[in-house]
Amino acid sequence: MKLKSFWVALLLGLVLVLSACSGGDSDDESAESNGEKITIFQTKVEISEQMEELAEIYEEETGVEVEVWGTTGDDYFQQLQTRLNSNQGPSILSLQDYKKAENIKSYLHDLSGEEFIDNIAPNMAVEIDGEVVGIPYGVEGFGLVYNKDLVSEEDIQDYDSFVNTLERLSNEGVDPLTLSSEAYFLIGHMSNYPFSLQEDHFEYIDQLSEGEVTMTETPEFQEFGKFLEAIREYSPNPMDYTYDEQMGDFATGKTAMVHQGNWAMGMLADYDYDFEVGMMPFPLAGNDKLAVGVGANWAVNGTKDEAEIEAAVDFLEWLHTSETGQRFVVEEFGFVPAMTNIEANDLDVLSDIVLEYSNSGETIPWAQNYYPASVVTNDFMPAAQDFFLDENISGEDFIQLFDEAWQNAVK
Amino acid sequence: MSRLHNRLWYLVFTVPLIMIFTIVVLIPFLIGIFYSFFEWDGIAANPMIYVGFDHYIELLSDGRFLNSAWLTVKFTFFSVILVNILGLGFALLVTTALKSSNFARTMFFMPNLIGGLILGYIWQFIFSDVLKMLGEATGYDQIFFNWLLDKDFAMYALVIVFAWQMAGYMMIIYIAGIQSIPNDVIEAAKIDGASYWQRLKNIMFPLLMPSFTISMFLTLSFGFKIYDTNLSLTNGGPVNQTELFAMHIYNEIFGYGNYGYGQAKAIIFFIVVAAITLTQVYLTKKREVEM
Amino acid sequence: MRYIKEILLVVGSLLFLSPIYVMFVNSFKSRSELYENVLALPETLTFEYYSAAITKMNFLTAFLNSLVITIISVIFIVILASMTAWMLARTDNVISKIIFMVFISTMLIPFQTIMMPLIQFMDQLMTVTGIPFLNTRGGLIFMHIGFNASLAVFLYHGFVKSIPMSLEEAATIDGCSKFGLFWRIIFPILKPITVTVIILNVIQIWNDYLLPSLVLTDKGLRTIPLATFYFFGEFTIQWNQAMAGLVLTIIPVVIFYAAAQKHIIKGIGEGAVK
Repeated sequence: MKLKSFWVALLLGLVLVLSACSGGDSDDESAESNGEKITIFQTKVEISEQMEELAEIYEEETGVEVEVWGTTGDDYFQQLQTRLNSNQGPSILSLQDYKKAENIKSYLHDLSGEEFIDNIAPNMAVEIDGEVVGIPYGVEGFGLVYNKDLVSEEDIQDYDSFVNTLERLSNEGVDPLTLSSEAYFLIGHMSNYPFSLQEDHFEYIDQLSEGEVTMTETPEFQEFGKFLEAIREYSPNPMDYTYDEQMGDFATGKTAMVHQGNWAMGMLADYDYDFEVGMMPFPLAGNDKLAVGVGANWAVNGTKDEAEIEAAVDFLEWLHTSETGQRFVVEEFGFVPAMTNIEANDLDVLSDIVLEYSNSGETIPWAQNYYPASVVTNDFMPAAQDFFLDENISGEDFIQLFDEAWQNAVK
Repeated sequence: MSRLHNRLWYLVFTVPLIMIFTIVVLIPFLIGIFYSFFEWDGIAANPMIYVGFDHYIELLSDGRFLNSAWLTVKFTFFSVILVNILGLGFALLVTTALKSSNFARTMFFMPNLIGGLILGYIWQFIFSDVLKMLGEATGYDQIFFNWLLDKDFAMYALVIVFAWQMAGYMMIIYIAGIQSIPNDVIEAAKIDGASYWQRLKNIMFPLLMPSFTISMFLTLSFGFKIYDTNLSLTNGGPVNQTELFAMHIYNEIFGYGNYGYGQAKAIIFFIVVAAITLTQVYLTKKREVEM
Repeated sequence: MRYIKEILLVVGSLLFLSPIYVMFVNSFKSRSELYENVLALPETLTFEYYSAAITKMNFLTAFLNSLVITIISVIFIVILASMTAWMLARTDNVISKIIFMVFISTMLIPFQTIMMPLIQFMDQLMTVTGIPFLNTRGGLIFMHIGFNASLAVFLYHGFVKSIPMSLEEAATIDGCSKFGLFWRIIFPILKPITVTVIILNVIQIWNDYLLPSLVLTDKGLRTIPLATFYFFGEFTIQWNQAMAGLVLTIIPVVIFYAAAQKHIIKGIGEGAVK
């Protein structure tokens, strides 16, 4: 009896396997693709659904099938790397930091000749060895996001006024400025300022890696250490805050300022808040320019066959030139366009500020895109945690830890 | 029957699985060993430079590697103890004749069903919100504070979460062991007037040795390999004090892009761990009682 | 006294579940409610996050994929591992010992260190043999069998050793072939450990994220854990939908476990025949 039911189960299992194997519509890999299908593997989870919608529209219009793969964002590069290595790469992929883009240079299609590339705002394209390989998703900017009821832009111009404002707010019973514990929010974005304020941050980064300069002897870094000390003194411990809690405190008026970017608007919209929101530059060394840069870029996988490459380029061109495509970039994805031919209407408050600064050229670049790979999460982060958990570490000590962290990442 | 015949049966029974296992696990592992002799960033199109045993020599003086390895050993040690005490305790509890034991059995096992990342995030809420609340309510803020922010306590937080997750798993194995002990043996001991503790110590535990072997080994192997919970609960912090081994290798391979070096670390650690655990299996197996 | 024990056990197990409570209540809350208080009960009982999660995840497809992959993998694991383990345990020679040691020592390899060579090798195999290992359910099942074989062999091996040899000897004298002997006599005795192997493997395969994420790319092939990616944003998580998705994911396994655990007990009752 038992034996019989076992054999029935086994038989059933075999049938299932067969159906599973044949049912798993395996594309015939060996066949030359004729550009009728492209695949997209991109890093920004937030726009996945919209991408899928766009893919359907595109297929209706052109007959080219677009398949959008899923990712959780964090492990994007590792997944991409594994797939590229086993010839399972997508036709369109995302590039984030420059060092990683350089690593996979041989997989990237040179987009230089394409006409629509000319519309990319100056200095925003990813160029390696003179070839344009990446098209920016959009521009993003970060700085001090503040509650206009509690702070005004004139309050904060340089180190002294910054500290005075923190002190004043603190006396009023408000948390003056809150950071949060995620690597990029705790230190990644903040660390940009002393780099970006160098005359030539590319050169500075190279010199640093070569050991020709140290942060300890650079004035901007010395002041950066003092700024962090002030933040530690007047603000709640950022290690105690998640991004959610940070924005929750901001939305409820418990915190006057947060260091965030225009993306925070999405989170803020989940809370009820009844004040005007502004964003201002971080006043390191009297800086009055907003840090504006590109978080992610589109790129085409050049190892695919010609038809597929062409189809992929066509899709990107359509995305940035057609009416539907442009509408998606601005309205559905919510990007501040980095293309001069895309008009941005109805942006949210923070994105508007980013656009304004960007158009007026009052910006400093994101040096972080040129850091050694993973230095923020692997090396800066432990140093920053140490600093915020241990009062005995001075700003000066911290910059020294930073120097060590950098050396560890480039060795 | 002929030996040939027996050998044939041996092959029929074992070859299918060994073949699949070799393709899926062994060969990729061997490829990994091969990579450990090269300087390579893990991108197929980029050059691989043969460096011989350089990586193996280099890692002996790599402070962060040694620290991570030590933390992993420490973590696993505490986890093995806690998980097995809880697992065995639960198993003994739910095999008693209590009415609620069926219910409890399911409840104790539930944590295991929540896989991966989200588990760590849920526990973050518990450590940051619930512990703080307890601290404020009771005044014992020496014990009730956010453990994840403390360089020493973060490790124990990880142990607790791991134990919470694994105890139900080991409970299953202990239950299977307990129930395979013939009832008449226990009954006979009862009639002879042995107390509960005597029965436990003199009859149950020796007969549970196979279950101990299995549970110890499984906890060791899961402990050494822990990644998801590590990532979502502490992400290695604060200040690298919970950067356990799988995470360390992952950061080396995919973070810094030192593929060969990361593989060399993995292999050295594997050899050490295998030596420890296989010794453990050997030792406990020897103490098993043949039925 | 008895009642006190009962109550203690219930309370204790409920306390043990408090993190699951956190998951459950927050699947009904908006972000601002969650920010206000993680532990409080939701203000209103709304299933909007559940329905959002179901639509986003394409739940039915994902559920069927997970189901097919899990069931078939587990069936194969049970059949192949029990046969292998029995042979290894009953053939007392050096080769068996080595094979067994190789099986269990590979349980110590972190998956992260072999995943890239694995996928590369699978791609090469695919080119050479023409069998589609990547991006198919069949290929994923194949890999699940390989990765979970060790644990199953280990569990079976331990259990086989506790079965008296005399049983098998008697059957052999009766003229049973090895195959018949195993399926008619040994396998039924293995039932309690089989149920254990099934439970542990079902959970492992049902919840696995990393392996399927590398093997499957087609949207139509996504398993449940893969389909939850929509909730894990670049900077934050859609807590309510993620928790709702998680609740939906574990309900089938809880039901399965509640049903299966009775068999452990029953099976052991039957096993006492010896």
